[in-house]
Amino acid sequence: MPGEAAMHGRESVFECDDARFEFAHSGRAIVESISFNVARGEFLTIVGGSGTGKTTLLRMLGGLVRPTGGSVKFRGKPIDGPPDGAVVVFQDYSHALLQWRSVARNVALGLEGRLDGAELRGRVAEALRMVGLERNADDYPWQLSGGMQQRVQIARALALKPAVMLMDEPFGALDSMTKAALQDEMLRVHAQTGTSFVFITHDIEEAVYLGDRVIVIGGTPGRIFRTLAIDLPRPRDQIETRQTPAFLRYRHELHDAISRASAK
Amino acid sequence: MPVGACSGIRQAIGRRGFNLPGAITCFAVLAVWEVAVRGGAVTFDYLPAPSAIAVALARLVLSGQMFADTVHTLSSALIGWSAACLLGIGLGLLLGISSGARTYGMATVEVLRPMPGIAFLPLAVLLFNFSLQTELVVIVYPSLWPVAMNTMGSVMDVGARLHDVGRTLRLSRWRILAKILAPAAAPMILAGCRVSMGTALVMAVIAEMIGNPHGLGYAIVREELAFQPADMFAYIIVVGVLGIALNAALVALSRRAMPGHFGRGSDRG
Amino acid sequence: MAKTTSIFAKLPPLRGLLPLILFLIAWQLLQPRQSPYFPPPSAWWTSVLTLLRDGRLMPALGSTLLTFGAGLSAATLCGGAIGLLIGLSRRASRTLGPLLEFCRSLPPPVVVPMAVLLLGYSQSLKLLVVTWAAAWPILLNTASATSQIEPLLLSVARTYRLTSTDTVRKIVIPAVLPAFMLGMRVAVPLAIIVTLLVEMLTLMPGVGSLIVTAQREYHSAEVYGLLVLIGLLGFVLNNAFIVIEAKLLRRWPPRAHEIT
Repeated sequence: MPGEAAMHGRESVFECDDARFEFAHSGRAIVESISFNVARGEFLTIVGGSGTGKTTLLRMLGGLVRPTGGSVKFRGKPIDGPPDGAVVVFQDYSHALLQWRSVARNVALGLEGRLDGAELRGRVAEALRMVGLERNADDYPWQLSGGMQQRVQIARALALKPAVMLMDEPFGALDSMTKAALQDEMLRVHAQTGTSFVFITHDIEEAVYLGDRVIVIGGTPGRIFRTLAIDLPRPRDQIETRQTPAFLRYRHELHDAISRASAK
Repeated sequence: MPVGACSGIRQAIGRRGFNLPGAITCFAVLAVWEVAVRGGAVTFDYLPAPSAIAVALARLVLSGQMFADTVHTLSSALIGWSAACLLGIGLGLLLGISSGARTYGMATVEVLRPMPGIAFLPLAVLLFNFSLQTELVVIVYPSLWPVAMNTMGSVMDVGARLHDVGRTLRLSRWRILAKILAPAAAPMILAGCRVSMGTALVMAVIAEMIGNPHGLGYAIVREELAFQPADMFAYIIVVGVLGIALNAALVALSRRAMPGHFGRGSDRG
Repeated sequence: MAKTTSIFAKLPPLRGLLPLILFLIAWQLLQPRQSPYFPPPSAWWTSVLTLLRDGRLMPALGSTLLTFGAGLSAATLCGGAIGLLIGLSRRASRTLGPLLEFCRSLPPPVVVPMAVLLLGYSQSLKLLVVTWAAAWPILLNTASATSQIEPLLLSVARTYRLTSTDTVRKIVIPAVLPAFMLGMRVAVPLAIIVTLLVEMLTLMPGVGSLIVTAQREYHSAEVYGLLVLIGLLGFVLNNAFIVIEAKLLRRWPPRAHEIT
C-alpha cells in the first residue's frame, strides 16, 4: 500500500489482516476489510467522520472487542483479550478516571500488584513528570480541569511503559489551547520514549500534525480509504509546521479523501 | 422508601420484553411454598399455603370487607397526605423565600425532622383516644417533611437562578412568581409529594395497628391476634398492592402535569 | 492539596432553635390549670428522671439501641453483599427482579405481625424484623448502582488487565459506595421506626413499650418526656450517621444537590 514504504523493514507491533467487526444480533458490520500494520515507534493517526467505526477499530486493537472476521495480531500473536503492552486512553476522561482516588493513586492503578513500594512510587513520579503534573499528585480528579484530568489518564497509561498507546479521540472534549498543548506533549513523549502511538481523531489538522502516517477510514461499514505518509520534519511546531506548503497539501488531500469516502 | 432506587433493576427487567426468568422465579417460589406447607416439610404453625391466601383474599373481597377496610386506610392516607402537602409547601416556601426564617428556624427544623412519627402515636392516643384524629396526626407529621425540604430546596435553587431572568425581562413580582419560579420549582416539589404519599400510607397502616381500630392496619393485627394467618397475609398483599398503585398513579399524574420533567426521579428527604 | 470543608461549617445557626425554646418556655409558663393532657415541660423532665431512678429507663434504652444497632449492622452486611452480587450478574438482576420488587413494596410495619405469627415473641423476632426492613433500601440501592456502573470504568479495568477480584475491589465497590450510603440514609431512620414499632406492638422491652405503657396508665408527663427522649435519640442517631457518611465519602466528588 502507498505510504508503507517508509515503514518497511521495521518490526510490526500490530498486524491487521482483513479484520471485520459485526454486531452479534443484527450481523451488521461496523468495520470490514481492515488491513494495516503499525510499525514499532511509529505515530499512526486514524482519521474519519463519525460513525465510521474508528472507536471499534481501536477497541479491536486494544483487545476490548474481538474481531468477528479476519485477524488482529499483536507482536505476531493473535489477540485474546487486552494485550500486555498496549493501553487504551479514552475520550471521556472524567468517567475513565477513578474519581475517588488521588492523581498519584490513579496513575498507580495499572502497576499495583506488579511493582512494589519504592519502584512503584518512582514510576508514578516519572509518569507525572512526563505530563507536567508533579505538583498535583495528591489532588483529586474532580478538583482538576478537563485538560489536567486527561493528562492524568495519559500518565496512568504511560506509567506502564507500554509498547503502544491507543488513544481514542483523547482531545475531542477539550478547548483548542489545551488541545494544542497536549498535542505537543504527546509528540514529546513519543520522541523521548519511542512508544508507538495509534491516535484516533476526527480532526484532519491534528491527524497531519501528529502523525508519521495517516489512515483514512470512511463509509458504512468503515473501510480504509487512503493511507498517507506524512513527510514533515520533526520536531513539529504548532505555528511553523502548520504553515508549510506540505502541511497544507496533506490537509487538502485528506479532506478530499474524507469527502469521497463519505459520499460512498 | 427510595422510589427511584429500583430503576436499575427495572431497566434490567423491562428491556427485553416479557421477563421470563423473573416470572419463572416467582412461580417457582410460590410452588415450593405451596408444596412445603401442604407436604408438611415446613412446620411453622402459622404459615399458610399460597392457595389458602388466595382463597382468603377472594372471600374478603367478595364480602366487601376488604373494600371497606381499604377505603378507610386510603382515605385517611389521602387526607393526611393532602394536609401534609399543604403544610409542607407552606413551610418550604417560608423557609425558601425568607433567609430570616431560615436563620431563625432551620435549627428547629433539623431537630424536629428526624423525630419518628411513630413516637407521636401514644401521645395522640392519649389526647384523642382511638380515633381518626389520632391517625391523622401520626400521618401528617412525618409526611410533611419531604415536601417541606424539597420545596425549600427548589425555591432556593430556582430563586437564585431565575429571579434575575425575570428582572431582566422586567416582569412584575407576581408574574415572576407565577410564570418562572412556580413552574421551575414544581417538579421537585411534586417529587417530594410523591415520597410523602408513600410515607403517608405507611403511617396510616401503623396508626391503624396501634391507635385506630379501623382499616387495613387494624385488620392485619386483628387477624394476627386471632391466629388467622391466611386472612392476615391477604390483607398484607392488599397493602403492598395499594402502595404500588398509589405510587404509579402519582407518577402518571405528575407526567401528565409536567410533560418532559419526569425521566428520572429526583427524590429527596 | 485536597481540601474538604468541615461538616460543622454546614450546621444551621443555633439561633434557629429560638422558636422551639420560646415555645417550650411559653408552655411552661402558661400551663392551663395543671391540665392532665398538657403537663408543663418541667413535669416531663421530672417523670423521665423518675424512670431513670427507678431503673426502668436504662434497660429499655439499652434494649432499643441494641436492637437498632444489631439490626442495622446485619442489614448493612446482608443488604450490601447481596445487592452487590445481584448487581454484578445481569442474569440475577433479571431473574430476581420481580421478586425483589414485590418484597420491597411490602411496607416494613406490615411485616411485624407476620413475623410475630411465624416466629413468636422473642428477641430474634425483633432483630429479624429490623434487619429485614432496613436491608431493603440498602440492597436495592446497591444492586441498582452496581448494575448501572459506568461501562467505561469496566473498560478501564480491562485495558489495565485487572483481575476480577481487583476489578470488584478497586473499581466496582468504590464506584457504588455513594449509592450504598444513600441506601443507608434511608435505612437508619427506618430501623429506628421499626424497632419502636415492634416494641409498641409486642410490648417487648424497649423505649417503645415504655411509652405505650405510660400512655395506657395515663401518665401523660411520662409520655411527653419519652417522646422528647425518642426525638433526641432519632436526632443523635441520624446526625451521627451523617457525620460518618461525610467522613467516608470525603474523597468522592461532592454530590450536586445536598440538602442533608
